Amino acid sequence: MDGTANALTGRGLALSFGGIEVLKGLDVEFRAGEITGLIGPNGAGKTSLFNCLTGAYRPQKGAITYLGHALDGLSPAARAGKGIVRSFQHVALSPDLSVLENVMIGVARNYHAGWLHAFLPTRRGTDEMAAMRAAAEGALSELGLAGLEHKLPSELPPGMLRLVEIARAIVGQPAVLLLDEPAAGLNNSETRDLMRTLRKLATSDLVMVVVEHDMDLVMSICDRIYVLNFGAIVACGSPQEVRANQEVVRIYLGDDDD
Amino acid sequence: MSKSSASIETMPGSASGNHARGWLAASGADYLLAAVLFALPFLIGGSWTFALGICFANSIGVLAVSVLVRYGGEVSIGHSFFAAVGAYAVAILDTRYGLSLVASLPLALVLGTVCGVAFAWPSRKLSGIYLAVSTMALALAVPELINNADWLTGGYEGLYVSQSVIPGVEASLQRYYAGLLALIAVVYGLRRLRHSRQGLTLLLAKQHPAAADAFGTRQVWARIAVMGISGGIGGVCGAILAFAGSTVSPSSFTFWTSIFLLVGSVVSFYGLSLTRALVGGAFLTLVPQFLSASGAWIPVLYGLALLGMILIGHYLPRIRSFLFASKGGA
Repeated sequence: MDGTANALTGRGLALSFGGIEVLKGLDVEFRAGEITGLIGPNGAGKTSLFNCLTGAYRPQKGAITYLGHALDGLSPAARAGKGIVRSFQHVALSPDLSVLENVMIGVARNYHAGWLHAFLPTRRGTDEMAAMRAAAEGALSELGLAGLEHKLPSELPPGMLRLVEIARAIVGQPAVLLLDEPAAGLNNSETRDLMRTLRKLATSDLVMVVVEHDMDLVMSICDRIYVLNFGAIVACGSPQEVRANQEVVRIYLGDDDD
Repeated sequence: MSKSSASIETMPGSASGNHARGWLAASGADYLLAAVLFALPFLIGGSWTFALGICFANSIGVLAVSVLVRYGGEVSIGHSFFAAVGAYAVAILDTRYGLSLVASLPLALVLGTVCGVAFAWPSRKLSGIYLAVSTMALALAVPELINNADWLTGGYEGLYVSQSVIPGVEASLQRYYAGLLALIAVVYGLRRLRHSRQGLTLLLAKQHPAAADAFGTRQVWARIAVMGISGGIGGVCGAILAFAGSTVSPSSFTFWTSIFLLVGSVVSFYGLSLTRALVGGAFLTLVPQFLSASGAWIPVLYGLALLGMILIGHYLPRIRSFLFASKGGA
């Protein structure tokens, strides 16, 4: 299927807080089968755009569509039901739950056993939890976290917590995966492993968008890159095109001599 | 009153090296305690059997408050309302229709849950001190509501609960074992909830509502669900309280009842295990009984006991790690 047919698009997205324009009429298209990078200096509006796409923020102007259907007015939970999931800039795991249980939440939306199954030892409830557990173990294994299932988040370093968040995001086989600074806190080896994993995940029907400050990661894995500055798109194109763009070099990559 | 950050598995301040091992240890203590409690009526006197029956009911009430803290991050000072709903469901079915606890307990559970949901819907956007104070409104209203509906509730004089669950079995044993079985069933249900899909999502919603929302759990749903569960358990507390005490009256469901349920929850450190619930329940039932000979000193001694429990709970992890370190060094 053509990636543009099942793309996540935003048209004329405008968002402001108390008169401060955070997004200034952005037009974006995130295509299936591609990894799209979203880069820009701090305060450029990257996370705000993520929040608009997931429904956490409601843009004052513009429209967001996925598979041709408007998402405006849908809550974050309803968008999650359509397979649009995200990771967070600041790790948002429950400290009360083990690593495995935190990841299991990522697949919970695909199961629907009622309250009776939560309190009583029914076959359906037991099967559901076993399936969620197996999926979570698979996702953790895919990210090299096997063996940490029963640790608490407080027992892991920040880099690993970030990977647990990504495992939670991918475990439910999302249609749209929005990753907010996935490599923050990772060492070089972990970042390389993450790059391999993300490339492997980029199937033809997955829309993947990555906000990241690690330029090596962005330039290595992204098929297309949007560059934001002060809530507006400064450039869009392949990594080579973005790298060659003088405006981008000036505002963002200026002190990168590589 | 503020949002609680107490861990679901551990004592406050615990380093929590291996929470799975801690959970197993807690389960072991629960099983042992349950076994002792099953044998206890054959070893102790009738007055203690009666007191323990009330203690089990209060332990269930403590669990109702603790589940709200653990899963919702909120506190209530109005749970006497849900207890009253459950208690009067039992008493009215008993006196008017001759139905025993077997029929009225499920109704108490359902009514408590419905009341919890009905309260949660309009207060779904409230949290912290505002929610706590709004629950207080429930507690303040209960005695007057009961008094004014005296055609149904018996007003100030209350109602008697006399129907047997198992005809022919001694009433004191029925009251004791009904309370114990209900308490164990609530603890078991809550343990199941902790490892269920709903339980996991509620815990994430408590700590990171935005993250829970992003994975399909709406905050409103989480709030209503937790309040419904808590209200339902509160209803069961009331039902057992009515059956174990064999009478219900407005004076059993005052604002102070709600405060003491919260106190029980605090001294049990919001624990959802059998052991922790019984610590809370005992603090409401057995400690006053122990102090009953102290006359005017009762409030002072009760206050000291309360302070002592909280300090012990607070410093226990440090004492434990100090002792283990000493052992390791020796």
